[in-house]
Amino acid sequence: MSQVNWRTINVDALDPDSALNFDMSTLTPAVTPVSASEVQGLAGQIRQLLRGGDHEGALRGALESVPYGADEKGKEIHLHTVIEILQSIRQSEMSPLLSRIYQSEGGSELLDVLMKYLYKGMSHTTPTGGAKQMAPQATGFSQIHPLRTGDGGGQAMSVFLSWHEKLVEIAGPGSIVRVMCDRRTV
Amino acid sequence: MARQSQSLRPYLQCVRASLTAALSLSNFASQASERHNVPEIEAKSSPELLLNPLCVARNDNEKMLIEPSVNSVRVSIKIKQADEIENILVHKFTRFLTQRAEAFFVLRRKAVKGYDISFLITNTHTEEMLKHKLVDFIIQFMEEVDKEISEMKLFLNARARFVAESFLTPFD
Amino acid sequence: MLLLDYQNVLIESLLRDRFAEGASPISIDQVVSDFDGVTFHISTPESKTKILVSISVRCFPELLQYGAQSVLEREYGPHIVPAEQGYDFSVQIDLEALPADAEARDNLVRRVSLLKRNAMAAPFEQAFDEFAERQEEASKYTSESAPQGLLEGGEVRAIHYREEEAIFIRASHDRVTVIFSTRFSDETDRIFGKVFLQEFVDARRRAIQNAPQVQFRNDPPLELQDVPGLEASRDIGYITFVLFPRHLAKQRREETISHIQTFRDYFHYHIKASKAYIHSRMRRRTADFLQVLRRARPENEEKERKTASGRTFRVQA
Repeated sequence: MSQVNWRTINVDALDPDSALNFDMSTLTPAVTPVSASEVQGLAGQIRQLLRGGDHEGALRGALESVPYGADEKGKEIHLHTVIEILQSIRQSEMSPLLSRIYQSEGGSELLDVLMKYLYKGMSHTTPTGGAKQMAPQATGFSQIHPLRTGDGGGQAMSVFLSWHEKLVEIAGPGSIVRVMCDRRTV
Repeated sequence: MARQSQSLRPYLQCVRASLTAALSLSNFASQASERHNVPEIEAKSSPELLLNPLCVARNDNEKMLIEPSVNSVRVSIKIKQADEIENILVHKFTRFLTQRAEAFFVLRRKAVKGYDISFLITNTHTEEMLKHKLVDFIIQFMEEVDKEISEMKLFLNARARFVAESFLTPFD
Repeated sequence: MLLLDYQNVLIESLLRDRFAEGASPISIDQVVSDFDGVTFHISTPESKTKILVSISVRCFPELLQYGAQSVLEREYGPHIVPAEQGYDFSVQIDLEALPADAEARDNLVRRVSLLKRNAMAAPFEQAFDEFAERQEEASKYTSESAPQGLLEGGEVRAIHYREEEAIFIRASHDRVTVIFSTRFSDETDRIFGKVFLQEFVDARRRAIQNAPQVQFRNDPPLELQDVPGLEASRDIGYITFVLFPRHLAKQRREETISHIQTFRDYFHYHIKASKAYIHSRMRRRTADFLQVLRRARPENEEKERKTASGRTFRVQA
């Protein structure tokens, strides 16, 4: 006990009425728990649609059935499903597709969900990136860098950035605000 | 190189949209201590005042983290560093800037871990300054820093070459 | 100023003033610093017409060992006087016994101002002589029949001219290798130094075919494997200059020795200059950023404030 430095104890944390102990569950809408295997099953169905060439159906399906109640692993699986769909859609098809979803019923909410996935995707670092060694200095002699393998995730990021641009055009900046405020995270 | 500068525009576009959305701040007095008014993103005194952070990335080496809260936003930037020289130049430059944080109002004295430089924007700043110009400042900052770093690197290489050749020429 | 001068400019101008036609002798007492911790003392202890120039070099005992005495005697002969207290070597110039013609006076000024260079030149001269001997010796044999040891190169002459830095010189039958060890005091110096040295290494390949070959590494090169107490670290650089016979020819020898001596100081001087330039750039760029930020502030118009009775007042500054 003598080791405890009393001055560093945050007394607010011990007070149940303190703002620090605000009950966050009152702000979070109730979500139904989803197991990782269910998400996995869903991913299989969506992939089926994707293989059939129904990009819009796949995207819609993925965004409608967001596993808010899943654990980290389940969310991860669904993120990969969404990324896969986004990557398979061509740049020229993005805007028309988004417009169609936006105009359909409940489409605005679906696009908010998509926005969540875009930010989540960008915060996702590529696994090889972390342990990357600092490249030895490029000498003045060879200013052209050899193409880095994998590009440090640049390829995947540019897909997200294109989607983001199109999405803001259609759904507006309010969509970004809702990503920040919605306590249901993807 | 051409491919890279192509992806710069959507990156900055995304940063602009995200910042504009995040800079919706209001005056909010501390709930923990009376007559205090602190940036909640730093104080983290109650969880409901903090919003979901946004991450905008161009690749693993260039990204931005926006941490919003009710009365303040923390913006952290990771600047591109392709090699040792750029690394030291970025380090020197950001150090130079943070030492002058006082003059910059919105600059944080210490960068958030994992990033090279951080800004802390509070409701006072958005009230006193024009929001879109503040966003302009950050965007321009990001553009210029990259440009400055690569110019300094080119200068260093050019000077090194000139110096080396000047020294060795008398032997020729 | 790109290249460094070989002579000490302060001594040069001081002597030139005193040697000038019609200059009246004055009493002098000055301590002059040079590169590598070398200090000079210029004074007139006996009379105003007798100028004593003394030099203190960190590694003077080493230089003596490599034949500095004879080099200095050759250069300064009659002017040499016993070394002043606290210094390693002294020369005295009698203003009343100056050579009559201007050229000879200039020559004397030049020689005295090169005091440091000449003191440091001894091991180089010795190594160059050794090279000449070995070359002649080796020319008598084919490469197979040469006696053991002849082709391998001779002993390493080490000059510890700074606290943690040294020059190593080694002669062999076809070249003289000069190795500088240098320490980078901080991370920035180290990385800038690496950029500069890379250019030294590349220069020969690119532009100046006849320049000495330059190599750079962080651990002691093979030539120094028998020298004890050498560190290998990221903060230490070993820069090797390989001087070929064309650089060692009698007529170029003086120039080569002078020039290569300035390498270390030249190299660090330009690292520092680059740092200073980059610093000034950052300062300018920071001012630009502040300008942009200032634009975010709306024009604060000066509003006239009135009291309830309608009178205005101004806040006293």
